[in-house]
Amino acid sequence: MSVKENPASHPNFWKRAQVASEERLHVRLESLVVLGGLCITMTILSPYFLSVNNILNILLATSTIGVLAIAATFVIGSGGLDLSLGSVMGLSGVVGAYMAVNMGLPAVFGVIGCIGAGAIAGFVNGQLITRAFVPAFIVTLGMLGLARGLGLVISDGRVIYGLPSGLLYLGQGRPLGIPMPVIIFLTTALVTHYILAFTRFGRYTLAIGDNENSTRTAGINVERHRLILYTLSGGLAGLAGMLFMARINSGDPTAGISYELTAITAAIIGGTNLFGGRGSILGSMIGALIMGVLQNGLNLLAVQSYYQQMAIGAVLIFAVFIDQYQMRKEARV
Amino acid sequence: MVYTKKVNRFIIALGAAATVSLAGPVYAEGEYAVLMKTLANPFWGAMGQGVEEGAQAAGVEYFVQAVESDQAAESQLNVCNTMLQREPSVLITAAINSTNLLPCLKTAQDAGVAVIDLDGNLDPTILDAEGIKIAFRIGSDNVAAGAQGAEYMVEQLGADATGPVLIIEGLSGNVTGQKRVSGFQDRLAALAPGLEVVASLPGDWDRGKAATIMNDILVRHPDLVGVFAANDGMALGAVESAFAAGKGGDIIIIGVDGNSDAVKSIEDGRLTASVAQLPYLVGSLAVENAQRVLAGETVSSEISVPTMVLTQEVLAAGSEPMLEFVK
Repeated sequence: MSVKENPASHPNFWKRAQVASEERLHVRLESLVVLGGLCITMTILSPYFLSVNNILNILLATSTIGVLAIAATFVIGSGGLDLSLGSVMGLSGVVGAYMAVNMGLPAVFGVIGCIGAGAIAGFVNGQLITRAFVPAFIVTLGMLGLARGLGLVISDGRVIYGLPSGLLYLGQGRPLGIPMPVIIFLTTALVTHYILAFTRFGRYTLAIGDNENSTRTAGINVERHRLILYTLSGGLAGLAGMLFMARINSGDPTAGISYELTAITAAIIGGTNLFGGRGSILGSMIGALIMGVLQNGLNLLAVQSYYQQMAIGAVLIFAVFIDQYQMRKEARV
Repeated sequence: MVYTKKVNRFIIALGAAATVSLAGPVYAEGEYAVLMKTLANPFWGAMGQGVEEGAQAAGVEYFVQAVESDQAAESQLNVCNTMLQREPSVLITAAINSTNLLPCLKTAQDAGVAVIDLDGNLDPTILDAEGIKIAFRIGSDNVAAGAQGAEYMVEQLGADATGPVLIIEGLSGNVTGQKRVSGFQDRLAALAPGLEVVASLPGDWDRGKAATIMNDILVRHPDLVGVFAANDGMALGAVESAFAAGKGGDIIIIGVDGNSDAVKSIEDGRLTASVAQLPYLVGSLAVENAQRVLAGETVSSEISVPTMVLTQEVLAAGSEPMLEFVK
């Protein structure tokens, strides 16, 4: 974790704003500026962009990736990696739908099924990483295949359609006109932001990512903490699976293919360090929104999806470039 | 803001209900929104081209969107929602599966947008359960396509032929593949009871997997006389295995789709035949019928576009009028 400089020593407005943004919001000012710039550009280019409906639409489209990006931020912030996010999300939706539809259990079991299946997958990841000492990359890569396959087995390769109304409400309900997935997503983001930025748990997480050995020397049970992190990551993937399942009224075994990469992209655009030690949930949310706004805007402008992928790739590299540039500049001073 | 919106919607709904009771559904005005799966697949590419050229010919405003792969279910839903922000009059969709677009189709219906199911990806029972009424569905009749394959095989082998036949199915659980296979199986049993289906295995639309299946079956049934694969990719995989095993040309191998790779292979005398769908025609007919719906004419709720058997002779003669739609 980098040492913050005293804002008073920088009379420069930009620098002061940068420090304030970092300290108050834990968000890099650059990513806020990029998001704002994108929104302004899209507003100018498309008459359909700036409306309450479309903003809610963007948040709704970002909800699943956003929740996965939260999971990615925790794990990457601690110097780990979870490649199984997308597959676990698919598996969770299938398990939840299976319990609610095929087994006819009440809606609440659908929720428990989704989050529980995700958490169990994450727990298995965590156990293998901390006890069997298999690298996180390998374990979660293996889980990527395991979870996807299991989802296909349980669902017999088909979507499980027709959820009970209680579950549907979580995906399609609109209290006060705001879609439920958006409410769940934003609430989760705020709570987890608080945890990562202001609690001991969050500090330990980033400390492990910064320097595992000194954290261990300081008397922190790194293995147990890691185990909790991977379980949390799986549970969040389960929550994302539930949101998507409830939105489309079915458990889709192919949901979330390659979402882990999109989630990691969001986290990194938002300022999470790929090698751990730095990251914030609000930052990752800005990252996810940058991608969401970009996609939405390009769709409104009827730009082909192939170009959209190029745009997102370019934004990712640009974001990390700015990050590295800043750090080098600071190191030189 | 939200409150007034709700009231507005209510009034619109009331108005819509009143008009509906008088004379059928009234659709909004605006451009044609076309949502494909992915254009990277030649089949969907040809269908997209058909839609675009059909729209250009008809002089209607349109915009096309597709997603990165034919597995990107959520991404397609998000794109669909975004497209509705442009307030189109028609939404022509090739949904990735039978459920991923449901919330968007519902919104479209509420906004008075005519929804058209391209290639029959939506499940009528699910649509009924969700209370979504689409204007029409258009696509090839997959059961008939399978049956055409069986007819051609029997034509080649004779009605009193005997011998083992292999079926390579699509992705397990995929409706399209199931329809083609059941169409083939039923017609084959009716026309030539002597031809015995010794195995029906899922090739998951995968060329390599189909080649492996073909290899394995040839070991057990070296006297295999016919193969029906639920798409061309898998048929081409089976062809390669047959040639590698030195049985090239001896086995009747039939695929479905009529894509450009298959056409090449048939011309080279490797693949025996392909039951060609005409995706280009499906696309252009979709636009044509959408216009009629908007004009208040009645169109059939199920429009099926014919399929044709492509063989070396048909391709060489080039006189079949529908050949111009094979892309």
